[in-house]
Amino acid sequence: MPKRATRKKSKAVPKVRIKKAPVKKAKPKAQVPRVGVFVCQCGSAIASVIDVNELTSYVKTLPNVAYAMQMDYPCGRQGQDEIIAAIKDNKLDRVVVAGCSPRLYEPTFQRCVSQAELNPWLFEMANIREFASYCHKNTPKEATEKAKDIVRMAVSKASLLEPLKPIELPITKKVMVIGGGIAGINAALDLADMGFKTYVVEKTETIGGYMALLDKTFPTLDCSICIEGPKMVDVGRHPNIEIISYADILKVDGNVGNFKVKIRKNPRYVIAGNCTGCGECKDACPIEYPNYADMYLGVRQAISVPYGQAVPLIYTINKDYCIECYKCVDACGARQAINFDQKPEEIEVDVGAIIVSVGYDMYNPKDLPWTGYGKFDNVFTALEFERLILAAGPTGGKVVRASDGQKPHSIAFIQCVGSRDINHYEYCSSFCCMYTLKHSVMLKEKYRDAIDVYVFYNDMRSNFKGYEEFYNRAIKSGVKFIRTKLENRKVIEEPETKNLTVHGETEEGKPVSANVEMVVLANAAIPQQTAPELAKILNIPLGKDGFFTECQPKIRPTDTDTPGIFLAGACQGLKDIPYSVAQGSAAAAEAAAVLRKDSWIVEPLVAQVNDDLCSGCRICESACGYHAINVEKVGDKELARVAEGLCRGCGICSSACPMDAIKMPNYSDGQIVAQVKAVLEKSVKA
Amino acid sequence: MPLKTIKKDTAEALTLEWVLHVKDYKLILDKNRCVGCQICSLACPKEAIKTEKQPKIAGEKARKAKVDVDLSKCNFCGICDILCPFGAVKVTIDGKHVLSVVEKESFPQLIRDIQVDASKCPAGCVECEDACPLDLIKVAWLRPDGRNVENLNLLTETEKAALKAKVDVQKDYCPCCRVCEIKCPEGVMHVRKFLYGKAAILEEKCPEGCRDCLDVCPIEGALYFSEDDRKVHVNEMFCVYCGACKLVCPVEDALELKRTQINHTLVRSGAWNKALERLASPIEMTKELKTKGSSRARESVKKRVGLRGD
Repeated sequence: MPKRATRKKSKAVPKVRIKKAPVKKAKPKAQVPRVGVFVCQCGSAIASVIDVNELTSYVKTLPNVAYAMQMDYPCGRQGQDEIIAAIKDNKLDRVVVAGCSPRLYEPTFQRCVSQAELNPWLFEMANIREFASYCHKNTPKEATEKAKDIVRMAVSKASLLEPLKPIELPITKKVMVIGGGIAGINAALDLADMGFKTYVVEKTETIGGYMALLDKTFPTLDCSICIEGPKMVDVGRHPNIEIISYADILKVDGNVGNFKVKIRKNPRYVIAGNCTGCGECKDACPIEYPNYADMYLGVRQAISVPYGQAVPLIYTINKDYCIECYKCVDACGARQAINFDQKPEEIEVDVGAIIVSVGYDMYNPKDLPWTGYGKFDNVFTALEFERLILAAGPTGGKVVRASDGQKPHSIAFIQCVGSRDINHYEYCSSFCCMYTLKHSVMLKEKYRDAIDVYVFYNDMRSNFKGYEEFYNRAIKSGVKFIRTKLENRKVIEEPETKNLTVHGETEEGKPVSANVEMVVLANAAIPQQTAPELAKILNIPLGKDGFFTECQPKIRPTDTDTPGIFLAGACQGLKDIPYSVAQGSAAAAEAAAVLRKDSWIVEPLVAQVNDDLCSGCRICESACGYHAINVEKVGDKELARVAEGLCRGCGICSSACPMDAIKMPNYSDGQIVAQVKAVLEKSVKA
Repeated sequence: MPLKTIKKDTAEALTLEWVLHVKDYKLILDKNRCVGCQICSLACPKEAIKTEKQPKIAGEKARKAKVDVDLSKCNFCGICDILCPFGAVKVTIDGKHVLSVVEKESFPQLIRDIQVDASKCPAGCVECEDACPLDLIKVAWLRPDGRNVENLNLLTETEKAALKAKVDVQKDYCPCCRVCEIKCPEGVMHVRKFLYGKAAILEEKCPEGCRDCLDVCPIEGALYFSEDDRKVHVNEMFCVYCGACKLVCPVEDALELKRTQINHTLVRSGAWNKALERLASPIEMTKELKTKGSSRARESVKKRVGLRGD
């Protein structure tokens, strides 16, 4: 029942309707319903296939139909005015619109009927566009017949619809941002500035994400940490923001307005309140280990921060490497910030809305033997190169080879490594072209003629503000662009000198190559490793590419299907910094729209338990996929109780119940049977 | 991107490596020097080192236990290097044998107290050189002008009397078993052990005719086989309490080995306390902490009151 499934997902009915349309008492059952049917032509989307005239005249012959008309665009302002007038003029008490999918326009029409002072749940939609005109273009006659069936079903159900009352839920005026990269930072700052208490939950020791690891940003060549750092500090200092770093999300219960999030704070073995960030412990520590923030090119102490600008500036002991000599304890002295007995701590936080901004991960090109990554010393990934050219990086900004520590005189950048490859990641990683341009411009402007820079690319994607101009700047600075096919590329090492040759093939099949001393791969950016687990915890879907799925890709890019959970940044789809920033703010605005409400209105299409019939057998409990129905002690009886905010109205409990004790409003047995009868009626006749 | 690591295991050496762009960490276990004892595996703070008993082939001598280092656990701290009585482990950073745990005084070093008074050496005597079970001693004879003497037999007695002895001990690899000291006829060598303890073989449990422990013991004379009861006995005079024997003994509890004290430089270190606890016992560790505590107390009293002496 797709219709049923989509219904629950449509956004809750706006408040306006509730105020203006006090729920009307249903007419006594004995009275014959007066159904009005409005057949949409949808420009030519419906009318070009379905004979709308014939359909409308047919509809008029159906039982209980008091009024029927065909319209060009009932969804438009004029169309809605006509519907309102028709309802009033003809004293209609049920409305059917035969048009498109309820997913798009049901809320619009519900609002429309409530303006005509009719209960919004006395409305039914018949989808004759997706189900008839779109899919049966070449057989208009049969499509028209099918449309008749669909409308007949809708009318028979509509006749049995009952008025319902919306459910109001309270809203906790706090918000959680999961992932403290640049998107999450912006979302958090916006929300905190609006006055909402904001929790930023970060998996690693510091917020900042990938942007904090970059040297420069394109196309302006601004220092990355110089522009992100102040924002990180703002997050750390904002009175409305609480950073919960080095923490994992364990469980999320509840629903929009009332989420309960269980978080595990992992032990840093350093007491946050006592650590002043002075770093004396680090100087005393004898143990070093490879630093992830340096892409393992450099090291950090067993007690340290990943980089100096870390926020919060709290040191962390890595017990995988620490030998527990307690030199740090001596160094810390009277501050007494070190506690080797710290245990993981579980906390629970109540929030009204959640923004997911967990970012992305990088693909390990070791799986692509043609690149030579992991085998040849002088083949790097772009992020490794970023740490090499960064002045605060492990080499102090010197671009040097791994094999001999010498500055290379020639570098080749290879684009689309793992991305745009149906065997690995079919999508375009979106920012690699631009960061490669950035790297090549930086090299050319730093070393000029002392370095040859080659870019092996297939398509150069420089399609936003200032990007194409930046591409031109790269060309002018002397970077050599070599266009090749994505197939038949190979990197070969000369074992003596550890120099490399990059081979490729032009679109015409002509071989091209370049001898270089270093190769940098634009390896694919991939979904965050923890995304599947988080998706499960939040009960929100991932797309087939592994990124979180937005509610509607064009007009609701930051919403998820779950009200109150929003997406920002690269976890929704790869995007560069300005777009992540913008989406962070967009998600913040969406979340604020929820939080500023006094209460959240839920469609009343949730399971209803008949206490007289319920035996407390718990079958419904195990059937429910949303933990929305639970058997509880009520008085001296055990009865199933529905958490209205969690129930998605899917009806599984209703069909599983052996006592027939659970009713789904407006999807009652009677209504469904009526629909089935209506569709079979004609087949029997035929 | 993942860290580049290398692990190589040859007949000669086991090599572990972290290859970073700016630094190269290397651990080399010299299998010729390794005697397959317990020390490194007990000392390792990351439990990265495992000893594996080698299957015995019938009719052959027992083989020393195999030492293996887990690359995923090793942090190249160098504690195994510091504590190996036989100097079989070397940890280097960029090829240099500089241990940060020593530099930053976060771990003590063993004290190999070996005094050699070569002036007492009788001409031509090479007892110590012959006695050293690990071939670490070289005795050389020098003429008054410093030239080396190749063949003593060609010299006259007066010439011999004018010779000066030079005794070279490769201290870094010396487990301080004291064999040279005991064998020296003139008291030239003075060796203090750095590992003290208790070793005993329980006669009732020791299987008759078994020589496994003796086969692997690196110190000739620390264990001996008695034809009377056809069992192996311990000579604690020479035993260095390394535990190589314990690892190959086929009968549980037939061999009792306890380390009680380790001679080391004074350093305040939690890592050392833990290592001592594993190498000796919690009791020994507590004892040492108490002694350190009282010596520190004495020091502070000395400083404040200005008293001299103990």
